Amino acid sequence: MAKWGMVIDLDKCTGCQACTTACAMENNTLPGESWQDVLYYHEGTYPSGQMKWLPRPCMQCENPSCVHVCPTRATYKDMDAGGIVFVDWNKCIGCKYCMIACPYGVRFYADEKPLLEPDLRSMFPGGNGQMWSPPYQNPEQDWKRGIGIPPAGVVSKCTFCYHKVGKAPAGTVDLDEDNPEVKEYVPACVRTCAPKARFFGDLDNPKSQVNQLIADKRGVRLKDHTGNRPQVYYLGAGASVPAFDPKPRS
Amino acid sequence: MSNENIMKGTAGTGLLIVSAIVLLASFAFAMSNLGSQGHASLNTSSTLPWGQPIATYLYFALASSGLGLIASLPLVFGFKQFYPIVKRCIFLAFIILISGMAVLAMELGHVFRMLWVIPFNLQIQSAMFWMGVFYIADLAFLLWKFQKMETGDWDSKTSRQVGIASFLGVLLASGNLALIFGMMSMRPFWFDGLLPIYFYLTAVASGLAALVFFTYLAYGFSREGMPQRLRDLLEGSLPKLFAAVLGGTLLFIAVRAITGLYSNNPEIYHVWKDYLLASPVYHASLWLGLVLPFVVMLSASMRTQVGTQLLISVLVFGGLFAERYFFVVGGQVVPLFKGTWEWSLVEYAPSITEWSLTIMGSAMLFTLYVLGEKRLNLSAMPPATSESAGSTTAAQPAAAGS
Repeated sequence: MAKWGMVIDLDKCTGCQACTTACAMENNTLPGESWQDVLYYHEGTYPSGQMKWLPRPCMQCENPSCVHVCPTRATYKDMDAGGIVFVDWNKCIGCKYCMIACPYGVRFYADEKPLLEPDLRSMFPGGNGQMWSPPYQNPEQDWKRGIGIPPAGVVSKCTFCYHKVGKAPAGTVDLDEDNPEVKEYVPACVRTCAPKARFFGDLDNPKSQVNQLIADKRGVRLKDHTGNRPQVYYLGAGASVPAFDPKPRS
Repeated sequence: MSNENIMKGTAGTGLLIVSAIVLLASFAFAMSNLGSQGHASLNTSSTLPWGQPIATYLYFALASSGLGLIASLPLVFGFKQFYPIVKRCIFLAFIILISGMAVLAMELGHVFRMLWVIPFNLQIQSAMFWMGVFYIADLAFLLWKFQKMETGDWDSKTSRQVGIASFLGVLLASGNLALIFGMMSMRPFWFDGLLPIYFYLTAVASGLAALVFFTYLAYGFSREGMPQRLRDLLEGSLPKLFAAVLGGTLLFIAVRAITGLYSNNPEIYHVWKDYLLASPVYHASLWLGLVLPFVVMLSASMRTQVGTQLLISVLVFGGLFAERYFFVVGGQVVPLFKGTWEWSLVEYAPSITEWSLTIMGSAMLFTLYVLGEKRLNLSAMPPATSESAGSTTAAQPAAAGS
């Protein structure tokens, strides 16, 4: 079985947020429920201040702290699904301990105050147990893997678009959107990336494109000191997030 | 059973009615808001998932553990002068824990699902799993110990063993509760291997506050009708213990504050500088709720006075509740993994629904307390201890009330 990993080349990323939009459209997430997001931040001060950005999906960690803390095994790492970390919405009790334990802040409890008004949940009330039912909805649903629109009271997260990736033919090494044979299985954020800054493939296969990129371009993992060992690698300059630095209150 | 227990009379009935009405009203209000708006009625968010309901649960759970630890003084360690409060301690520990669990249940996304998914999935890696195991064991041992006392069995071999088991249950439950926070290395404000010690100390402080307040409440805020041994305790060992525990608590807070402010780590430093010490509420809770009570309790003449003890217990109640709140929220106010994208700390203030949950828990505590005082003899103590009291109004044989 493959071990799915993602490589994001920050030298190519333009911060256009197409990945974020594609993710929201593919997975019908609510505003603020940003399974995929691009962080914008600045580093340094004038005259050497820099504006930077960093795309951020779930890191699908090899040693995920969210899985260790979940008291119900609702959050689990599925080695038969390429090592993707899922949330079983039939088991999640909404204790939110996983959100506390995730160092990357990539878990969401969508049953919260709306980020934007009007509240989409009241405009499109949910059916079949879902928190909301938009006019168009991706028909793919698998609550045991946290795929679809979540019910109220559970935690949701990026699934590496497993509803697509999981259908890739056995033995697939690279899920490259430029390959017509596999493009339907490529995660939405990877497929939509205009500057082709994202790559997806099998980290267990030495010949995979992701492994070659990690080796050739010195791929790094973020917050590696936590020991979580992400399956998402970053290439290029700026693969870090500067420390929080509150601004003086006006 | 002392006839001076005013909770058995009309005053108790009045308090029971008022607290039951508050309990029902706050429960109905919270249920109505949670039913109509879901967790959008709470001010928690994906950036700050644990808010005041979790702080309330933490406060109640640790107050319960503190009472359990105080009860272990006579039951495990042989400090017999504490026998006059031990039965009330065990009862209060039980009902405070039940009240805290009720608040937690209202905060969870799927509380009934919890009842089967946790036992059927046995995720032993999770500290939260062990929290469930240890607090259920704690409840069971408290109940068992209380049942032994109700039947007048204070000192049999089984009774002593249950007392020791209860003590261990309390240590494991509250220590594990501390580790739920203390093991989170990704939350540096909480990450601390010594957090269980801090929790034990503050647990005993909040337990003592509850014990002093509810003991005086039972006797109409006067020592007149109290058994002599209970009076002796309230004028002797108990206020000294209270002062010592408050001192230990302040020492721990000072050490945490100093290391936090000295640290360059922004996830600790900014919590202390820009959140805790920048908050007038935190200052009020620290200086009025902990420092002032400690200073007052250092005075040998003041700490034995009824009014002082009552005031101190109320101040410590408030001070430690705020301490729990700022501890829980403080661990989350630095935006996680956002770097300089975020310009300020995460803002959070409890919603009216969250306040109603805190009020609901408190009202449940008062309701159960009055019911306990009415139905049970919480002032009972072992016969030998009663005899040594030498007071006719005081202690009655333990079995008398049962």
